[in-house]
Amino acid sequence: MRLIDSESPRIKELKFIWKRLRSSPLSLAGLAIIIFFTLIAIFAPVLAPPRGGRDPYMMPRFGFSPTPRPPSPEAIFGTTEGQYDLYYGIIWGTRTAYRIGLLVVLASALVGIVIGSIAGYYKGVIDEVLMRITDIFLAFPSLILAMAFVVAFGRSLDSVTLALIIVSWPSYARLIRGEVLKVTAEDFVEAAKAVGCSDFRVIVKHVLPNTIFPLLVMASLDIGSIVLTAAALSFLGLGAPTGYSDWGQIISLSRNWITGAPGNPFAYWHTYIIPGVFLFLFVMGWNLLGDALRDALDPMMRRR
Amino acid sequence: MNSMLDNAEKLRVKDLIVRFYTYEGIVKAVEKANLNLIKGETLGIVGETGSGKSVTALTIMALTPPPGKVEGGSILFQRATGEVVDILKLNEAVLLKIRGKEISMIFQEPNAALDPLYTVGDQIAEALLTHRRAEMLEAARELEAVESRGLWKILKNIPYFRERFKEKLLKKAAQKEIIELLRLMEIPDPERIINAYPHELSGGMQQRIVIAIALACSPAVLLADEPTTNLDVTVQAQILDLIRRLKERFKTSVIYITHDMGVIAELSDRVAVMYAGNVVEVAPTREIFKNPLHPYTKALLDSIPRPGSPFKSIPGIVPNLVNPPSGCRFHPRCSYVMDRCIEGTPPLIEVSKGHYVACFLHGGA
Amino acid sequence: MGSNLRTYIARRLLLVIPTLIGVTLLIFAVTQLFDPVQRASLYIRDPKNLRAIDEVIRKYGLDQPFYIQYFSWLSQLLEGNLGWSQSLHMRVIDALVTRAPATIELAMYAAPLTIILGIRLGKLSAVKKDTWVDHFTRAFAIIGWSLPAFWLGIVLLAFFYGGLGIFSPGRLSPWAEALIRSGEFKVYTGLYTIDSILNLNAAVFLDALSHLVLPVTTLTIIDVALIMRIMRSSMLEQLGKTYIIAARARGLDEKTVVDKHATKNALIPVITISGLLTAGMLSGMVITETIFEFKGVGYFAAHAATQLDIPAVLGFALLTGIIFVIANLIVDLLYAYVDPRIRLG
Repeated sequence: MRLIDSESPRIKELKFIWKRLRSSPLSLAGLAIIIFFTLIAIFAPVLAPPRGGRDPYMMPRFGFSPTPRPPSPEAIFGTTEGQYDLYYGIIWGTRTAYRIGLLVVLASALVGIVIGSIAGYYKGVIDEVLMRITDIFLAFPSLILAMAFVVAFGRSLDSVTLALIIVSWPSYARLIRGEVLKVTAEDFVEAAKAVGCSDFRVIVKHVLPNTIFPLLVMASLDIGSIVLTAAALSFLGLGAPTGYSDWGQIISLSRNWITGAPGNPFAYWHTYIIPGVFLFLFVMGWNLLGDALRDALDPMMRRR
Repeated sequence: MNSMLDNAEKLRVKDLIVRFYTYEGIVKAVEKANLNLIKGETLGIVGETGSGKSVTALTIMALTPPPGKVEGGSILFQRATGEVVDILKLNEAVLLKIRGKEISMIFQEPNAALDPLYTVGDQIAEALLTHRRAEMLEAARELEAVESRGLWKILKNIPYFRERFKEKLLKKAAQKEIIELLRLMEIPDPERIINAYPHELSGGMQQRIVIAIALACSPAVLLADEPTTNLDVTVQAQILDLIRRLKERFKTSVIYITHDMGVIAELSDRVAVMYAGNVVEVAPTREIFKNPLHPYTKALLDSIPRPGSPFKSIPGIVPNLVNPPSGCRFHPRCSYVMDRCIEGTPPLIEVSKGHYVACFLHGGA
Repeated sequence: MGSNLRTYIARRLLLVIPTLIGVTLLIFAVTQLFDPVQRASLYIRDPKNLRAIDEVIRKYGLDQPFYIQYFSWLSQLLEGNLGWSQSLHMRVIDALVTRAPATIELAMYAAPLTIILGIRLGKLSAVKKDTWVDHFTRAFAIIGWSLPAFWLGIVLLAFFYGGLGIFSPGRLSPWAEALIRSGEFKVYTGLYTIDSILNLNAAVFLDALSHLVLPVTTLTIIDVALIMRIMRSSMLEQLGKTYIIAARARGLDEKTVVDKHATKNALIPVITISGLLTAGMLSGMVITETIFEFKGVGYFAAHAATQLDIPAVLGFALLTGIIFVIANLIVDLLYAYVDPRIRLG
């Protein structure tokens, strides 16, 4: 029996997490969904080749008539209001979702890490001031504050992205600050400082690596809600322009058609069911993964 | 040891096996533990963290914490009626009558053992009203005449308010008993304390409340899981004293769990030593201090700090119970280890009158 | 009242003021993203003034450094002047006030439903951990949490209104609206379910109620997951604590242990999360009111945003910020009252 473990504790942790993830059917489902969407996003140009010359994110149209047409051999998911190719929009919409989700999460995590670690490390007045600022941002419901910024920046997906970054960083800052406070209470930080490591070095090399896991949990849970909020903004008409491959925008095109045609209330089901299902699955996949990660890291849940 | 209780025995744990099913593996927390409790005695159980002593105590009340499961053995207990039952085979309805009434438990952290949202009086009343309800109803009935005044005279006839009135009477009836109990616990100013919340009291006071709850229904057996470990030394002495006196008064048999040999020496009649889920030695207290037989017991006694001599610790570390050492679980740390010790587990056998050891050095091969 | 509680309340109340100031500062910062001409509409109450833009700019110092502007803006705010909404042709403050009852009515039904359902489901799934009940309720929670609110609303509308012809959008059917317009129905609060009771008019009551079904359901499904999740983990945490084992050791049956002890303790973090629920509901209102054409403040805000109506959107954002801060204050005070450790110190 080995008394000393020769594996680095972090590798052991990763292996343990992977084992936990593998064991739960829900987390496997989440992983499968995410892989599915990632593949679609990567192979978008192959799955739905853009018609040359224009922005590949704009959906091609089969005409201009307002009435959506049901799925057919040439448009396998049918067309939306204005004859946009639904299939194309959904495929490239995956890319849009990933673009916004990853960009916002990465950027807000970065800002959050910087601000959070400064606040948690230096404590005192700096911490107070930074936390007050964070509190103020967190005092608004995120969708509504994002709306205000989008109105200021002008209607576009880039405005939505920027607005969401502004709205999301405070949660990361809070998280990192909390973790930094926990870690700096440990002695090894004092030791590093005593040896003469610069503050920056201490933070980056010693403090931050220990905050990685909670950060990952927050990030994976966050992607889902970022994409949802962005879709909501596009749905309201504040984000992607009409005809852009964005799931929220596509669903907004179905608003006039949900009551169907006389005699056939679900005549245009494809215009809202299909994009909605994709959006829902995308978000659920990330939520499942985030939940599973959170359970795997929760010390209390390390039992069967 | 047979499957019936001797006349003098109150409780016997026989070949108890408890395993915990965790993600890291199956923790073999208690592996064929054997001990017994004689009527009227204080049995001390001593061992390090991870020895399985707390799990054993909780299992005696059939409260093994999940993800733990009892995988074998029996716990024979003689009830107040004289009937001998196996606790591990009883159904919940019967267990509810035993817990708190015939077997009670007090805990290591008194603050954690009390619900922060209820007054201590309420929590003692809970115990009283659960097990001595008939008595309390009698007392409540006596109070009814006095309390039926004012608004209540009318309200008590309406079904919903009848219930509330009954509760009120019960509470008042219990109060008298509770104040008596608190006085017995040597708690000053019981009329005020009865309405206090746990966090308003000191650790020592909280522990007295926990003891009050445990003894409210005069149980025959008291399980004490390190009740003084988290208290100041002076308070510790007071509580130990209190326990000793209460034991005399209520004629309770006590199982006292601790890792402190000093407390063992002071309080217990007999001692059981546990290591890594096994009971390795059982003997009267005097005997164990004078003539410890198991190498672990010897090392434990040696490691008690003495002024003037250097610190002696037991070499090695507490074993991993997912993959425990083969054979005798102490063998990696034993200075007397033999080949036999790695191959087989020594049984607990009587070496001299009342002195049991589980070690191949003393037979059992 | 213990002195500890008094200090807690005092400190909490004092903390609200800088937060409210901060809220106004943030909104003000957003206003600075616009040029002076655009900002002018934030200060006027009468559209006629828009023509004399330069005068407005000079009057409110819109070309002055921002600290001067902040105070002139703030003083306007305190007078109740939130500017003029071009998309609605009325003062922003009036728009908010007239549309508030609709939103309040929605919240009045959705919030308690969400909280009670969330607590019940959370408790159930914690007590029956790892059984099919637990898996089922957790799946329900994850689905609810992942559902796009606007999509759920659309699907419900398509099915019930499009498919079954019941639960039409809007607050009332046309006949009920005509009735109110005619003056025969007196509007007391603006909340139609209450007003119809006060008017002793069962038909309007049922009509208003039927129009509330879908929006309230949408809001509830989305937000119940949050409450459920917190309640579940809170219950699990309490069930692992020593005082629960001690309670069982006293011979209390499992039902008493769970209901009397674990649940009560577990509810405390849920109280705190209810504050966050308000934020979730406010965002949900914007989307739900838009889809169901429920003309409340959310509907008005979404409409204004698409018209780039700055004062309207900012006025709404400011309002939600204030509501959220006050909701959190109430929740904190409630929490202090419920937990004797804080109430008595």
